[in-house]
Amino acid sequence: MDNTPKIKKESKNKIRVEFERAPLWIRIKSKFFSLNFLKNVVYVIFRYILLIGVSYVILNPYIKKIFGSFMSPTDFQNPKVILISADPTLDQYKYIILENGYLQSILKTFLIAASIALIETIVCALVAYGLSKFKFKGNSLVFLLVVATLMIPRDAIRHSMMLFFQCFGESNPIGLLLSKLDPNYSDAWIQGTFIPRYILAFLGLGFKNGLFIFMLRQFFRGVPDELEESAYVDGSNTFRTFFSIILPISIPMLITVFIFSFSWQWTDNFYSDIFFTALEPPGTAYDLVSKMPPTLTDMIKNIERKTMYQSTVVGTSTILIALPLIIMYCFLQNRIVQGVERSGIVG
Amino acid sequence: MNSSNTLPVRKRKRRLSLTTKKAISGWIFVLPFILGIILVYGPIVFKSIQISFVDLAGTASRDVKEFVGFDNYKRIFEEGANFLEAIMNGIKALIIQIPSIVIFSLFMAVILNQKMAGRTLFRAIFFLPVILSTGVIAATDASSNALANMEAGQMDANTGETSFMSSMDLATMLGNIQMGSALVDIVVNLVNDIFDIISRSGVQMLIFLSGLQSISPSIYESCQMEGASAWETFWKITLPMISPMILVNSIYTVIDAFTAPDNNVMQYVEKLLRGGTSGTALGSPIEAVQVGHAMIWVYTALVLVVIVLVALIMKAFVFYQKRD
Repeated sequence: MDNTPKIKKESKNKIRVEFERAPLWIRIKSKFFSLNFLKNVVYVIFRYILLIGVSYVILNPYIKKIFGSFMSPTDFQNPKVILISADPTLDQYKYIILENGYLQSILKTFLIAASIALIETIVCALVAYGLSKFKFKGNSLVFLLVVATLMIPRDAIRHSMMLFFQCFGESNPIGLLLSKLDPNYSDAWIQGTFIPRYILAFLGLGFKNGLFIFMLRQFFRGVPDELEESAYVDGSNTFRTFFSIILPISIPMLITVFIFSFSWQWTDNFYSDIFFTALEPPGTAYDLVSKMPPTLTDMIKNIERKTMYQSTVVGTSTILIALPLIIMYCFLQNRIVQGVERSGIVG
Repeated sequence: MNSSNTLPVRKRKRRLSLTTKKAISGWIFVLPFILGIILVYGPIVFKSIQISFVDLAGTASRDVKEFVGFDNYKRIFEEGANFLEAIMNGIKALIIQIPSIVIFSLFMAVILNQKMAGRTLFRAIFFLPVILSTGVIAATDASSNALANMEAGQMDANTGETSFMSSMDLATMLGNIQMGSALVDIVVNLVNDIFDIISRSGVQMLIFLSGLQSISPSIYESCQMEGASAWETFWKITLPMISPMILVNSIYTVIDAFTAPDNNVMQYVEKLLRGGTSGTALGSPIEAVQVGHAMIWVYTALVLVVIVLVALIMKAFVFYQKRD
């Protein structure tokens, strides 16, 4: 068999050639009827079965809820109805959106979650940068404290956190400081508001901020020191270097942290429980923010859940709560993986 | 020519060395967190520990305290037998759950790291629980699932809604192939907890994926050239290279599992912290709060011990690639 290519078609700048090849049947045989190919096929099938199975387990509750959200009360008496409603309605959606102030709640929750997530992201980035790039005495102690905040279960300090933010008077270091400055000081400004959550966010103590600091620290450790050194030689100080060089290159990682923080703030019920129990419900409180309608968390509490139908309504409201998150997630999920990939977390 | 002579005359100010300067900027960067620890977190934790050492009963205001030493801690052992039982059960469950979460997330990360059609979609689905099964959504899911299971339980007691295969069937099947009953229990529990395990391994999967991405492809290439099979490559290359991530993930999983609000111990303690006394030998809600605080610090200390143990055990197996 000579292997010189035969010219099939020739134009000005294109040429099609044909090689003498083994006959089609032999090629097919060697490709598809080998043990290796069989192994690969079995592997691919197995892999897809596994992935689809696990995806099913994850999506199952949401699928059920989505189908349930179109059911009407009569469907629960009908034994034939399992998933698909015999009498589909939009009543549940109407009930939640129109009668329970869904849209206002979304707006308020969005404002709170987005602002807190933004603050947390920036503060955690600052702290993580300080921990990763500067050698100072106590660096590892500070890092240990970060891990400690992650490790102490938040329920352990739930009670004392409640006391801390409810009695913001002289029993408390910040309150003491403020009352020294202003003789007419009263702690009414903080009670029943979202201010405690902002305080926690500004101090890098919000929910799982230890994890964010940890992730960002690992990321910054992977950023070559030469970048900062050259910026320093060019006369930029550390803070300018941080804001104009380090932050822009770490945007994927920051987006990851922001998404985590945002979605955990969005669905938060721990802190809202702490800061609003035993106090007037939000809406009557002092602060401007809390004059707005209740957050999603409060909304869901107001819905009764005694019968199967009512619990389906609650399920529907969790869909509606999750919906904005899912939309955001769909747009940004590639960024999440990318962000974490770049962090190069190493123990 | 003149301009070169009029260089700014430096004031003989004492200049800080670069190291000192860097140390100061380092402190400024971590300042928010330090302030937070000193002004907010420290006092809160201190107060929580303080409550575990005082007697709140008989005082009108909660600010007045009577120091009682380790009384509250002693009472855990005298009266909180349920707590010790809950801890033992919790640890027993976690001993199985934690390795399975780590192994499952590693396995899934390896698969999701391969090139295939629909990888983005699968990744998106797999990380969905990270953002969705927290806070209020998880809480309402738990309560409505309980209700659904209750109502479904009346209809068909055997096929629970969340299990795919009836666990009875599985138990019989495994029993038939002469598996020990303890092992059968473990497997059946794992299968029943599959949703829990999957939904808790999101963050771990992300961390493993990032680790897998950082392994240089040229190592795999040379392995292939040397004729190593995929199996050998996994054990000889992937596993050692990813071992630092296994350490991180094990610790993260321990923390996450031990502090999850839905684990038995946390639920038991939380009930006490809210002043509930049912099922305990404690007299009043105030006592429950005190003893609850004592318990949670005992528990935290225990978690710390577990983490140190896990870290020490894992450290022996961690392989760090030397960087040039």
